[in-house]
Amino acid sequence: MTLPTHDEREHAKETLDYIRRTMESASSFTAVAGSGMVGVGLIGLVAAGVASRLGNPVDLRVWVPAAVVAMVLAGAANARKASRMGVPLWSGAFRKTVWVMAPVLVSGAILTFALGRQGADALIPGMWLALYGAGVTAGGTLSIRAVRAMGLALTVLGAVALLQPEWGAPLLAAGFGVMHIIFGLLLLTRHGG
Amino acid sequence: MAGNIVVDELDRLIHERIRLGIVSALAANESLPFADLRDILGTTDGNLSVHARKLEDAGYVRVTKGFEDRKPRTEYSLTAKGRRAFEAYLGQMEQILSAAREALEKT
Repeated sequence: MTLPTHDEREHAKETLDYIRRTMESASSFTAVAGSGMVGVGLIGLVAAGVASRLGNPVDLRVWVPAAVVAMVLAGAANARKASRMGVPLWSGAFRKTVWVMAPVLVSGAILTFALGRQGADALIPGMWLALYGAGVTAGGTLSIRAVRAMGLALTVLGAVALLQPEWGAPLLAAGFGVMHIIFGLLLLTRHGG
Repeated sequence: MAGNIVVDELDRLIHERIRLGIVSALAANESLPFADLRDILGTTDGNLSVHARKLEDAGYVRVTKGFEDRKPRTEYSLTAKGRRAFEAYLGQMEQILSAAREALEKT
């Protein structure tokens, strides 16, 4: 083979990087399972209902276990779908999404603690929705447009809940319940399951 | 010129950026709907259509048209010929890098 020029070497490196990024992006995108999202939505609806019945829409005795179960369920569903489609689950894009969501979740936990200490529980639903929406929107830059749309809608719900704290409980049900179910059904019908 | 010889060996059909993106995305999936491909590549409907058509004409990509909820749905997948061409292209890129690496080791 003829010795490649400097430009050709750089171009080859850049091209292989582009191929890798595109394949990762395509894989991570399809690895999001609709069934998992529907399950997360149902858990969100149940948690919102139970917490409201207990008299505190942000009762952590309900939401913390619900969040753990939802994450395990979504993780298992994503892994099953990735395995069925023969694509790696822990791809670069998926890793980036985890890095986008982790600071959001940690910030949410710290703010929940801080607002609770100040007796501002009424602001927690809006803060949860707005922060989660921000994370989903940022993570959505690595995925389909529908993810970004869901993130923006969650952020709007969060803003409404912050301005109208008395609507916190139904907005939590709408954001963590209904929106996940709609998004899950969209993935199930249009994005490979 | 040596550089031109190397570049001339490349598959021009795949070498174009959007077409390379289409083939790469399809190599990672059994098939992808039009809208997904467009979002993954961050391109327009028109641009994707034009480039996908060229790949289809060359027999690299298979297009399946159907309906879902009464709306038209176009699904793309990579053919065996397309996968072979993609693997050959990857091989050429890796060859360029390994030739450069060997040359570097000799100096």
